[in-house]
Amino acid sequence: MKKKLLAALLSVAMVATLFAGCGKKEEKVINVMAFTDEVPKMVQAYLDAHKDLGYTMKETIVATTDGAYQPALDEMLKSKDQAPDIYALEAAFVLKYTQGSASEFAATYDSLGIETASALKAAEIATYASEIGTRPSDKAVVALPYQATGGCFIYRRSLAKDTWGTDDPAVISQKIGGGSQSWDQFWVAAEELKAKGYGIISGDGDIWHAIENSSDQAWVVDGKLTIDPKREALLDVSKKLKDNNYHNETQDWQDAWFADMKGEGEKQIFGFFGPAWLINYTMGDNCGNDKNTPEPEGTFGDWAVTDSPVGFCWGGTYVASAKSAVENMSDDKKAVVADIIKWITLDTDENSLQYQWANGTFNGGDGSTKDTVASAAVMKKSDGSTGFLGGQNMFDYFVPAGDYATGRNMTEYDETINSCWREAVRAYVAGNVDRDGAIAQFKEAVKSKVDIVVE
Amino acid sequence: MNKKKGVSYAKWGYIFALPFCIAYLIFMVYPIIYTVVIGFTNMKGLIPPPLDFVRDQAGNIDLFANFRAILSDSMFKLNLGNTFLVWGMNFLPQIVLALVLAVMFTNNRTKIRGQGFFKVVFYMPNIITAATIAMLFTSLFAYKMGPVNDLLKTLGIIETDINFSVSAVASRLIVAFIQFWMWYGYTMIILISGILGISPELFEAADIDGANGWQKFLYVTLPNLKTIMLYTLVTSMIGGMQMFDIPFLYNSNGGDKRSIRTASIYIYEKAFSGSNWYNQAAAASMIMFLIIGVLAVIIFFMLRDKDEIAQHKIERAKEKEFRAEYKRVLKEQKEKAKGGAN
Amino acid sequence: MDKKKNSVGSIVARFFIYFFLILLAALSILPFWIMAVNATRNTPQIQQHALSLLPSVHIKTNWAVFEAKSFAPMTGFMNSMIVSAGATLLSVYFSSLTAYSIVVYRWKFRRAFFTFIMAVLMIPSQVVTIGFYQMMYKVGLNNNFLPLILPSIAAPAVVFYMKQYMEPALPLEIVQAARVDGAGEFFTFNRIALPIMKPAIATQAIFAFVQKWNELFMPTVLLTDSKKYTMPMMVSLLKGDIYKTELGSVYLGLTLTVLPLFVVYFLLSKYIIAGVALGSVKG
Repeated sequence: MKKKLLAALLSVAMVATLFAGCGKKEEKVINVMAFTDEVPKMVQAYLDAHKDLGYTMKETIVATTDGAYQPALDEMLKSKDQAPDIYALEAAFVLKYTQGSASEFAATYDSLGIETASALKAAEIATYASEIGTRPSDKAVVALPYQATGGCFIYRRSLAKDTWGTDDPAVISQKIGGGSQSWDQFWVAAEELKAKGYGIISGDGDIWHAIENSSDQAWVVDGKLTIDPKREALLDVSKKLKDNNYHNETQDWQDAWFADMKGEGEKQIFGFFGPAWLINYTMGDNCGNDKNTPEPEGTFGDWAVTDSPVGFCWGGTYVASAKSAVENMSDDKKAVVADIIKWITLDTDENSLQYQWANGTFNGGDGSTKDTVASAAVMKKSDGSTGFLGGQNMFDYFVPAGDYATGRNMTEYDETINSCWREAVRAYVAGNVDRDGAIAQFKEAVKSKVDIVVE
Repeated sequence: MNKKKGVSYAKWGYIFALPFCIAYLIFMVYPIIYTVVIGFTNMKGLIPPPLDFVRDQAGNIDLFANFRAILSDSMFKLNLGNTFLVWGMNFLPQIVLALVLAVMFTNNRTKIRGQGFFKVVFYMPNIITAATIAMLFTSLFAYKMGPVNDLLKTLGIIETDINFSVSAVASRLIVAFIQFWMWYGYTMIILISGILGISPELFEAADIDGANGWQKFLYVTLPNLKTIMLYTLVTSMIGGMQMFDIPFLYNSNGGDKRSIRTASIYIYEKAFSGSNWYNQAAAASMIMFLIIGVLAVIIFFMLRDKDEIAQHKIERAKEKEFRAEYKRVLKEQKEKAKGGAN
Repeated sequence: MDKKKNSVGSIVARFFIYFFLILLAALSILPFWIMAVNATRNTPQIQQHALSLLPSVHIKTNWAVFEAKSFAPMTGFMNSMIVSAGATLLSVYFSSLTAYSIVVYRWKFRRAFFTFIMAVLMIPSQVVTIGFYQMMYKVGLNNNFLPLILPSIAAPAVVFYMKQYMEPALPLEIVQAARVDGAGEFFTFNRIALPIMKPAIATQAIFAFVQKWNELFMPTVLLTDSKKYTMPMMVSLLKGDIYKTELGSVYLGLTLTVLPLFVVYFLLSKYIIAGVALGSVKG
């Protein structure tokens, strides 16, 4: 066969030049594949704490930003002998690996020897997280996150005081219709803020995650593209925000959006929708407080957390193990891998990763911010008060927020379909197309990218 | 025997062409055959079903189903149109500017000071990665507080910020400008080397005939640049039809991507996002190959003038003559040798 | 002779020419300046105002991120150097050789071969991408530099350029003269043709080196062992994901990545400038 000849030719070339080919898999090495150094750092911390085991880590990090992580991971998973022992999955594409086309590559937590059912209960993992991590074909958990990504509304205390005379989260929750499952009260608040010259949010990207996750139906129902009325409402919501000048018209993750966190945008912005990691990763750094300067500056300390009008979850990193890797493992190694995964996703004691993560002590207390974690049990015994929120205990609001969120309205194509949808909405809001045109444009784009029925 | 010796240098032609062929055979033939084949198959999804030809719903083999799917996809037409538009918008000003600069820098009457510096600097935008360039331009044209908006406001040209990113015209113009800006230095370098390849005697002859600068450009430089222009046009067209990085990375999380999505992005997204349609991506690649091929043939045909064909004939005749001459010389030498021996 | 040179119109024209050239030059240098400046700023500063002309004070913090993120500039530099230098050398040498075979020798399939090269040139890179990396994984050549270097032997665009350059620049009489002197064909190519081709080789070497140095997708898919990472890959690792990007260190990484390119570029650009001086010797 031609292929074999080719392979022979290539192997000769390889040997001739004395380049080391793919190394034989050594025992006592944990192969970790991830898109940031976050998960490898955790595994390393575990191995450092358990030096007696004699394991080392080999990390493979491929960034998601250049679109190469998934192709690289897919090749590794397909190649059997190079499949990673532990791999990280981002919420944007986790469903492909837990419920979609790549889910069969994953090992179940139970096959590693983790008693998942009881551990989930004991750790009080949010339902949406286990829903997302459960493979439909055998109803088994194949991936779990370590963060809780239930979202709240994070607002500026000073603007609240100026508008309503108080910055009490309970009152502000009522003002914006927190937990009401409707946006009516939110618009009232937007109007009141506008009277004071403030914008309620920075851009329509902020509200999108809340709208997306509050939908009753997923994008694909019975193999058909379905536009849930709640998601379709983004068209009108975005337009309303722009027409009434309720926001700064920023694009999330671009300059002006970050500037609004520091209060240096066109007009002062009241709040952002987001999970705790938005504070930990983004807002904390962008509010103006430099870790090197002891005195708070910018908007540091001027923030508080309250309920979002509708519940949602956004982002999060999931941890999985490859089935073909598990099959080749010695019992000894399997136990180690299982313990690492358990330590990251399910353990709740004071040495567990999530406990350290929740209390901001994981990186040796280098000033990293506290964060919400998947296990409610951990958060109950942790203190979530932070200076960024003016001393508020963020768990008071973020823990219940996990309950609103759901993993049932997601599909493995969401990353693709969402980007088509937001593009269509932008075109509509910019006035490039009318409302029907935007929906037609959206359907056209989806049809071209995803193999589902589009009517 | 003589005949054999006469063409014996030809064998070196084969030998010198061999490394190219071998490398190509080893590394590219399999991937190309692979792509051509899967264009006719059902290979779709991350874990594709057992490989088979595409079949219609009744289960009959329907070889060209993937090609039909692409050709009937309005997104493909739109993206193909974008590709042509953005390429044209960047190539025309690019070749004009590159030509002007090349003539300016090779003309020793203009005597531009520091031309070495300018030549070196103009190519520099090509050194930075496309990702960085795209990142910088995204920020440059950002809506609200972007530097370009700030500048236009300071100059009093506009009153409120312009949202460049959601405008189709602005997005295409910006992408075309980036391409233009990244590549005019390259084109200039190529054209300079082309002009330098022109024999100085031609210019001297024109000087003697009393031609002015413009006439020399028109009647000496341009006609003699034809092969290099052909090179520039063909490579730029091929590069333009495959344009990917800048339109893909510019405004990567926002803006009107629809108007700057190129055929290459279409192919990439077919294969690597959504349903992982490898087969349709392969079919689309082949369609692109055909389009590029047809365009290249047209360009070759258009730029191939009578002079060149005549030149060709002369060359052939010369070759023939040379061989005859060579044979004759050999024969003579042989006879001489014979005579000498005698 | 030309007395018009000193007229007012000419001076104004020259002023505009210089103004225009300086503007273009500024546009070329600006991104490098911004990049270097951003290497000294911290992430929030960059996120809020990506473009600044004034440096800040965070270069040390940005450098510190490297260590935490396992960004090893020396390893990356060596790997990038092996791949880029290897690919560039192979590309210019063998392309010259291939072009030489077409220009100098009158063999039967010469024209067909050139047409083949042109056809190859027109194959969109997407056509080969997927098949190429899948093949490399199949034969176990992932985590190996060879698949990134060896294919450069067949570089159709470079062959095309070399051929276009060689046709007028290399008189066949020289080759014949060498033969008369008893030089072998390889000797003639290496010692006589290549030196004549120097400006073309330098030009194409720059292009090939820059392109290879900045290549990202194929190395990322093929090289998964962190010891084999190239510099652009390490920079893209600094980016990680959209949620948490250390932009300051990304720009520092980008600046470091571009430095070697500068060195190579300025070394080789001497040939371009020198070639210009050579070409304009006349009258």
